[in-house]
Parts: sequence; C-alpha cells; structure tokens
Amino acid sequence: MNSQHSSISRRSFLSKTVAGAGAGLVLGAPNILRAAEPGAADTIHVALLGFGKQGEVLFNCLRNIPGLHFQAVCDISNWNRKKGMGQVRSLQGSAPKGYSDIEEMLSTEKGLDAVVIATPDFWHSPHTVMCLEAGLHVYCEKMMSNTIDGARAMVKAMEKTGKLCQIGHQRRSNPRYRYTLDNLINGQKICGQIVNINGQWNRSLGASQDIGGEKLSKSIIVPDDTLRRYGFKDMHQFMNWRTYRDLSGGPISDLGAHQIDIYSWFLGVQPVSVFASGGNDYFKKREHFDNVMCIMDFETPQGGVRAFYQVLTTTSNGGGFWESFMGTEATIKISEIASSSAIYREDGAPSWDSLVERGYLKRKPAPPKPAPSADAVASYESAAPEEFDLPGGFNKPAHQPHLENFFNAVRKNDIKILNCDARHAFTSEAPIYWVNPSALKKERIEFTSEHLSV
Amino acid sequence: MSTDTDKPCCPINNLALTYAALLLRLWLAVRAIQTGIEKYSGKTDVEDLVTIDGKANEYGLTAGGTVKTYALDHYHGVPTALMKQFEAQPLMPKFGLPLYDKILGPALIILGLTILLGIASRTSLFLLGLLYISLTWGLILINQNDGVAWLGTHMVLIAMALMIADHNRLTILKKW
Repeated sequence: MNSQHSSISRRSFLSKTVAGAGAGLVLGAPNILRAAEPGAADTIHVALLGFGKQGEVLFNCLRNIPGLHFQAVCDISNWNRKKGMGQVRSLQGSAPKGYSDIEEMLSTEKGLDAVVIATPDFWHSPHTVMCLEAGLHVYCEKMMSNTIDGARAMVKAMEKTGKLCQIGHQRRSNPRYRYTLDNLINGQKICGQIVNINGQWNRSLGASQDIGGEKLSKSIIVPDDTLRRYGFKDMHQFMNWRTYRDLSGGPISDLGAHQIDIYSWFLGVQPVSVFASGGNDYFKKREHFDNVMCIMDFETPQGGVRAFYQVLTTTSNGGGFWESFMGTEATIKISEIASSSAIYREDGAPSWDSLVERGYLKRKPAPPKPAPSADAVASYESAAPEEFDLPGGFNKPAHQPHLENFFNAVRKNDIKILNCDARHAFTSEAPIYWVNPSALKKERIEFTSEHLSV
Repeated sequence: MSTDTDKPCCPINNLALTYAALLLRLWLAVRAIQTGIEKYSGKTDVEDLVTIDGKANEYGLTAGGTVKTYALDHYHGVPTALMKQFEAQPLMPKFGLPLYDKILGPALIILGLTILLGIASRTSLFLLGLLYISLTWGLILINQNDGVAWLGTHMVLIAMALMIADHNRLTILKKW
C-alpha cells in the first residue's frame, strides 16, 4: 500500500459516499465495488484468519469495500479454508494462498497489510498479539478474549506496536447509532436525564441448539491431532466452542457484549457495580449459563443510571434484541434491526414539532386508542407517549460500516479514525468479564480499578 | 343529371382524409411503441441522504424509495399476474406462452415504428390487428371483458386506418 495514494480520510470518504448517495445511489451496483487489483498502489493486502460462519459474514461485507486484495485465508478446517479460498477466487479471479497455521502464514506471506480475525474467542488474544507483533493492522471480532487478561494483552500489544486494532463492536460504526448518540442524546438532549437502561437478546431454542451432531460429514471433520493442537477436545468443542467455559464467555459475552458495549458508549462512563443471576435452566449439560440477567449501576455527571440486561437462549419473545435508554423526557429504543427501534416522547416533555420540521426525527402515526375497559384504572396511568422514529436508515450489511471505518484508518494509519480501537473496546468490555463471576458467586461486585483497567 | 355524390372528391375533403390517416397512424403507432417500451420498465430502489437542518447528514442516513427505470433486465412481455392465469387455462398452448411472452414487447415496438414511419403501412396495420386479436383471445380466456372491449376499440381504429390507407402520406414504403 502506497501512503501517497491512501489519503482518504474518514471525513472525505464520508463526503464522497454522501455525494454519491445524494445523487440517488442505486442499490445493487456491485460493478463499482470490485476487489482491487493486487498490484495497484493503494491496495490493502488482507489475510482472512478464520472462515467459519462469522468469517463468512465479514467477508460478505469486505467484498463490497473497494481497494482490498485478499492475499491469504487461514483456517484449521479444510472445509472452511477451501470455502473461503473459493469465495475469494470467485471475487477477485485468483485464488488466495491457503494456510492451516497462522505462524506459517505470517512467516511465509510477504506484503500483508492487515488481517481480519474471526476465530473462536479464546484464540482472539493470541492471534491478535501475534499479528500486531508481525506488523499487521488487526480487525478482530468481539469479544476481545475469553479472559480479561487476554483482552488486556491485546490493548498492550496495540499500544506497544503502534499498529491499529479495531474490535468488532460493529454498532459503534452504525450510522443509526452514531446519529442517535451525537444528535439526539448529546446534541438535542431529547432524553433529558437518562435514568434507566434496558436491553435484551432473547433467542429461541431452535436458534440455540448445538451445531453438528452425531454423524458429521467426512469433509468437515478436522483430524483429532489438529483439533488438540489448537485447543479443542473434539469436533463438538470445535463447532460449539461458544458453550464451553475455557473457550468463550458464553451468551453474556457472545451476545450481550454487543449491547452492554452500547450502555457504556452512550453514557460515556463505566459501571460502578454489577449483580448478576444465571442458570442452566434448559441446557442442563452446558458449561455456560443458558439464561443470564444482570444489573449494572452507572454514575454519570447527570445522576445515577440503573441498567438491566438479559440474554436468554431458551425463549425468544419480547422483540429479539434491542437497547432502550429511558430518560425523564424520552426513551430511545434502538436496535440493529431498524423495525425494532422507536423513540417515545414523555407526556409533558417539550414539544418536538421543531425537531420533526428540521428533519431530526420522523413522527410515527399514532396507534388507535384502545377502547375503555372495566379493569383499567385510568387515573393511575401515564398518558401514552408519542412515538417517533429516526429520520433514516442505511442499506448495508450490519458489519460493513465498521470494516469500512477500519480500512479508512489503515489507509490513513491513524488510530483516531477508529470507532472502536482495542483500548476503547476494553473500557466497555471489562465489566462484562465480571457478569459470570457475579452470577456464579451470587454476589454483587463493586468495581475497582483492578477490575476495569488495563 | 348529376348529383353531389358523382362529383370528384374536393381538395378539402382529401386534406381531411389525409389528416385523419395521419392522426390515426400516429395514435396507433404511439400506442404500440410506448406499450412495448413499458414492458422494459421496472422499479429500482434508490437511497437518498436524509436532510437535517437543510443539509445532507454526514452519518450516511438514507431514506429509501423507488423510481421507475427502463432496462432490458426488467422485460416482462405478459404481466406476471396474467401469466399465471394464462398458464392455468387448458386451451392455452403451454409451449407457445413463453415464446409469446418474449416476442410481444419487441413486436409492438417494431410494428409501431413501421406504422409511424410509413413502412408497408397496410401490412403493418394488419399485423398489429392480428396481435391485438391474439391479446383479445387471451383476455376472453381469463374473462377480462373490460380488456376485450378496450382492444375492440383499437381494432375499430385499425380498420378505419386501413379504410383510408389510400390517403396516407409521408411514407417511406408505400407498397404493401
């Protein structure tokens, strides 16, 4: 990559994107988004480390980002590796190099600029540290690590090497989230004082079952010696590492980390305590709790905030996944899924007519008033809040803006451009590492700097 | 004794018939050409940046909409809803339907152009009439009587155009 040709700042990229979209960007125009020519001066040479389900999700975003050349694919599974190499070949016309071992890849491949890591959580820290020390910029999926010490090592490696390390909390680059924080919460302060946060990820049994089964196809089986060399007891562990305590943080880290990250990001502070409850309510043999709930207390300059979060892998009702910031004047319920989002103005809060006129919000049609019922005690009820919505959305895969942000920072070699570098990610992830211990001990944990600092 | 009917047609009447022929020709041509072109139309999703305080927002928030566009990829000879009804008709030859679907749009455009430019006008009008008859038959099968009546009006116009074809001027190929 030639730095002379890589001076596309986040701001200029945005403005160019904005100009294109403003002219009426027609959806589905992949011809302008082809993978880069390997020899082009401003091409970023990328290695894909881990090409399982999440690796494929990321690649389907990466393929839309101009200027990337996928030089190598590394995965211990032949099935995943070949799948990744095939998809890269079909995109850029030439097959990337395939590796089953990261050390071999790093010692063999010359000219790599960056790596995208989507390996199991317990490998995130060793892989990230290894790649940073090899001189690569790193985009690593969240959770940073299965242990807080692993996460600390990633921050230290990023700061020691001076390389970029973005953690995959993709909501941090989501235009809807960024707009909400900058313009509605901080700018127009429509929530008033935020006093409560609720969040959830409720997932059905059907979506929470173990992957694989008794009889696996030969083509996807990883040899036993390979599995053991890379920390897996057997194929079940390899395919279901999210359910094992030594390999992951379980549902609170797997799903909850995305959302608890938003709590700290939006409030601008870390929590002061956590009290959690969890259990194996349905999946009795799983090492991790299948249902976890926690309460975190935050102390902000405006006052205290009680934050509740639940992750259920046994039942899905309640609207899937979202975060709800409840203030004295409004509640903002936001989700990666636009249709699960809404903004409610409290009765008695200042009018938002001007905000609607200026384009900050859209008014949703008022729902029909329910007929009076005999069991209602009208005098005790608050008036139903008015419902509003964000003025727009975005039409890209959810992870794409975050990856675009990373590669913009790589081109500029500027950590300040990153929306979620390892240190900032650690700030919001650190409290999450204490949810499972609190639930196991059934004790409230008052955070000290030892709990939350690098 | 001579009567008015024995008189040769006056120049004004000839001019009126010429105008009538031209207008009919134009109407039928425009009707056929644009109907054919519309078969290449479709909806395309577009995203425009949301404007806040009079400026395009810098976050990339967009509001979606659709615009009508023309492209070869959009081509649909027989509308999908009608196609399903035609496929369910026992009298409809199944092998012919896909072929008919493919040629309907181009046929309307070609015949419309030959009528507009005056290339073998009478044969072109006759072929356009046959095409409308084929459409009429399809609509009879699926009991769309309004459409049948509408096409009947077209047939009357074609017949009138043929009747005054001798007065058709400004043609490229008068023969046929």
